[in-house]
Amino acid sequence: MRSESLRNIWMLSKKNMTLYVKRGPVLIFGLMFPFFLVISWILGRTITIHQIFIGIVAMTSFFTSTAISPVILPIETREKSLERLLSAPVSFNEILLGIIIASTLYSIIITSIISIIFILPFPTLIASPFSYIIIFIGISLMGVLGSLLGLLVSSKPTDMTSDIMVLMNLIKFPLLFIGGVFIPLSSLPSSIAILYFFSPLTFVTEMLRSSVDQTNLLSNEVSILFLIGWIALFLTLNYVLHRKTMPKRFSEAASGPKMKKMRKK
Amino acid sequence: MTKNFEDLIAVNHISFRIEEGEILGILGPNGAGKTTTIRLLTGVFELEEKSRVKIYSEDLTKSPKKLKKLFGIVPEISNAYSDYTVLQNLNFSGTIYGLSKTKIKERVNTLLERFELGDKRYAKTKTLSKGLKQRLNLCMALLHQPSILILDEPTSGLDPFSVTIVRNQILELKNEGKTILITTHNMQEAQQICDRILIMNRGNIIADETPDNLRKNFKQTSTLVFKMQDTLSYEQKEKLNSMFNLKEENNNLFRVISENPLEDISYLYDFLKKNKIQITDFKLLETSLEEVFIHLIKNDSKFTGDDIR
Repeated sequence: MRSESLRNIWMLSKKNMTLYVKRGPVLIFGLMFPFFLVISWILGRTITIHQIFIGIVAMTSFFTSTAISPVILPIETREKSLERLLSAPVSFNEILLGIIIASTLYSIIITSIISIIFILPFPTLIASPFSYIIIFIGISLMGVLGSLLGLLVSSKPTDMTSDIMVLMNLIKFPLLFIGGVFIPLSSLPSSIAILYFFSPLTFVTEMLRSSVDQTNLLSNEVSILFLIGWIALFLTLNYVLHRKTMPKRFSEAASGPKMKKMRKK
Repeated sequence: MTKNFEDLIAVNHISFRIEEGEILGILGPNGAGKTTTIRLLTGVFELEEKSRVKIYSEDLTKSPKKLKKLFGIVPEISNAYSDYTVLQNLNFSGTIYGLSKTKIKERVNTLLERFELGDKRYAKTKTLSKGLKQRLNLCMALLHQPSILILDEPTSGLDPFSVTIVRNQILELKNEGKTILITTHNMQEAQQICDRILIMNRGNIIADETPDNLRKNFKQTSTLVFKMQDTLSYEQKEKLNSMFNLKEENNNLFRVISENPLEDISYLYDFLKKNKIQITDFKLLETSLEEVFIHLIKNDSKFTGDDIR
């Protein structure tokens, strides 16, 4: 039974990766957006190569991980394929895990490629061989966390991708600005630094800083613990909210004018 | 089964049985609860606390994965992945239903040939016409050789050629011993292919009968239509009116709704003979399932009148 579940999750992840990586919203918000954001951030400023690396890796990881997961459920609701999956021998949890894994893998692959491209001409950028492991753990946890965040936003029972992407951006940008990418946590007064703890991105940038220029305030262990805590919270919220809103995705007739006449007395 | 959406009762304590090898049709106006019933049966909606679906005596909520493998579902609107090819959609379906690669290959070839889709195997689903998409849906539903088929308005919006293919396939599947549950708006289709019909309105089942019994139990069993050669006098019309439930249409054409057609034909014959009137046309129309359906829905106490499509 367990192997059947694993096979289903893998099949769903493969399907999600092949079908959704080339979709417009994924390309725009996952690749183009961080690219232009990085360009506008570094052009005309005096920023060290270490800071650029941290910024690029953190933003790529954050944007790619939150690109696929929010669009899958609205698209599949509109195309009715979600209903097909729910009536197939696939559990609700397997469907959600299929989305999380596809989104996480997409983020890890893209971020790893960008990191390698950046590290190759600057091999002394990384503090020690152990730092590579820390970077990988950081981008992996960010991949999971971003995917969960995207999935959580898509718990709104709509079939309009644009609705979800607007909401997603509304959440993403504040989290990016208090995520320690542009201003390190260590250089902030404690009254403002506390705000940074509300962005999961802070802990990833802290791990990147510890691996590159050691300007981190938090140790890697603390950052990992915080990230795992955020993951547990988002996982629970996803489970609860999607269970609650999933039936509403198919009850469009229930809100139609004809049905309103049949309300309970 | 019961299903509520906040303050709306979509399905209201309904209970029915479907026998192995039977074709059961669910009819009803828009919003009657047909699709919600199917979604409850197939596990798309979670069953409410006291609701139960039993398939071969097994509870759907206790072993959903095992029982869902017995279903083949054909939706009204194609739910195949539009960016996948026909073959990719079939391969994905086969894997999700736990078929081996060899079995998928074998079944795909058989079904593509049966539904005349062989030359479309590498075509993207979004490029297919509605009729071809529906044939693909049937292939996906039959790939794992389910014993129960659930079809949600399978011929809705199809061209006559595709309708014939789909209907013939449904009858062929019945001959293969499949149990079939079908929702439709098409009365002719229901009359042709269903062994038994459930009529739903406002989340309730208001009739559960064979198509023949539904018509027999309906009091307005027939309609007599006849055309007089000459215009009737006022007295003659009054006389006819006193004998029958008469409706005059244009050009001396009359329509009589009859509960006992043989008796009424005899009265009409006597009247024509006595008044020396000749008729130029005569038809005896059997009550259609459509008339029964409209009558039942209209008589359902809470009907608001605008629910029939």
